[in-house]
Amino acid sequence: MADGNTESGSRTRKIMFNALKATVKAVIFYVVYFFVSGFLAPISEFLPGFQQMIEAFVIVYIVLMIIGDLTSGTILQHFFNAAKALFVIGYLILSLKGGLFGMTYENVSLLIDLRLFVVVALLLSLLGLAKSVLQAINYMSQKAEPRFI
Amino acid sequence: MNISIRMIGIATTVFWVFLLAFAFSAVYSVKDVQFHFGEPQVGVNADNQLYFSLPISLANRGFYNIGHFNVTSRILDVNGSEIAHGSTFVRVINKGEEVTAFHNMTLDISDLLQRSQFYLFNDSDLTVREWVGLWLAEVIPVQASTNFTLPWGAPLYNFSVGQTTVSFYNVTHSRIAVPIGFENHALFDVVGAFQINVYNGDMLNGEGRTDVAVLQHNRYDGLAEVYVRNSPAVTTSGRVEIYFSSSVFNYGPWVIPYG
Repeated sequence: MADGNTESGSRTRKIMFNALKATVKAVIFYVVYFFVSGFLAPISEFLPGFQQMIEAFVIVYIVLMIIGDLTSGTILQHFFNAAKALFVIGYLILSLKGGLFGMTYENVSLLIDLRLFVVVALLLSLLGLAKSVLQAINYMSQKAEPRFI
Repeated sequence: MNISIRMIGIATTVFWVFLLAFAFSAVYSVKDVQFHFGEPQVGVNADNQLYFSLPISLANRGFYNIGHFNVTSRILDVNGSEIAHGSTFVRVINKGEEVTAFHNMTLDISDLLQRSQFYLFNDSDLTVREWVGLWLAEVIPVQASTNFTLPWGAPLYNFSVGQTTVSFYNVTHSRIAVPIGFENHALFDVVGAFQINVYNGDMLNGEGRTDVAVLQHNRYDGLAEVYVRNSPAVTTSGRVEIYFSSSVFNYGPWVIPYG
């Protein structure tokens, strides 16, 4: 009975800790976004949908980050981390359209070649995905190890 | 395995922070790059070509160097054929540095007139295609392009040759006078001479030369005169051939019968 209460208290403390960690990380991430969005404001004047595009990314990323932290210590955490990495890859490919950014303002056409940036970002995202897969493998192998009492 | 996974995580985070910081600061520093276009110079150079020179000042007060700064211009005629091309390239503009480059273009008027006499007598609009490119922080290529029209002013706009008159000058010679008029709408002064040859059949009976100097946006009205020997074969009928020659272009002949 006493062991059950201790285990229940420990689980509650763990959930509370995970929730606190997720909240702190989400707040830090949002604060960083808040400061960066100020720098991006001039770009939004030329690209009408740019602000919404960045906001959508931040919302989905924070949600996946919170869920990943809340499920910390379970296999689901690694699924959500992998989903987060895949989301970043998909978002980079779809939103940056291969890395060639074009816009027209009055009679002036502007073309920004971000292909190098996109390639590096995709490689880093793939590294993040690889890390999630390795974490999942590590988690499962630790679970599978026999426990000696 | 835990340590290697942790190291991958740390390395990924560090690279992400570096990449994002670099990308945002590179794009953000564009606002500290100042372009200034000076007063364009237009004139005729030593090769008798029309030249256009535009001073471009670029002050790089951003965080990074700017590489491959390039300005390219193409001037197209009404048919879309290229008649002039100019390109200016600066390899690197270091941060905190201000560079002035001259974007030069030359237009061979004789070449243009060989394509079409239309530009000699008619005002028109030429198309200018302009490209400005640079590499932000020497790694992010950015290019802006635009099209606009450039008014072309004809050097011999509204050119007219009036009625040729033959009058007796003295007992030995007669005077043949040809009224000539035109407006100089060009970007340059028309300084040259009208060469007038008087023929009767294939025989050259007289020739004369009339110098003209017409400033931009001015009209010329004058008489081109030739003195020929008094002879019924010359004074009763014939033809006048008029040539115009200048340092920038030559044209002719205009053939005007008289009598």
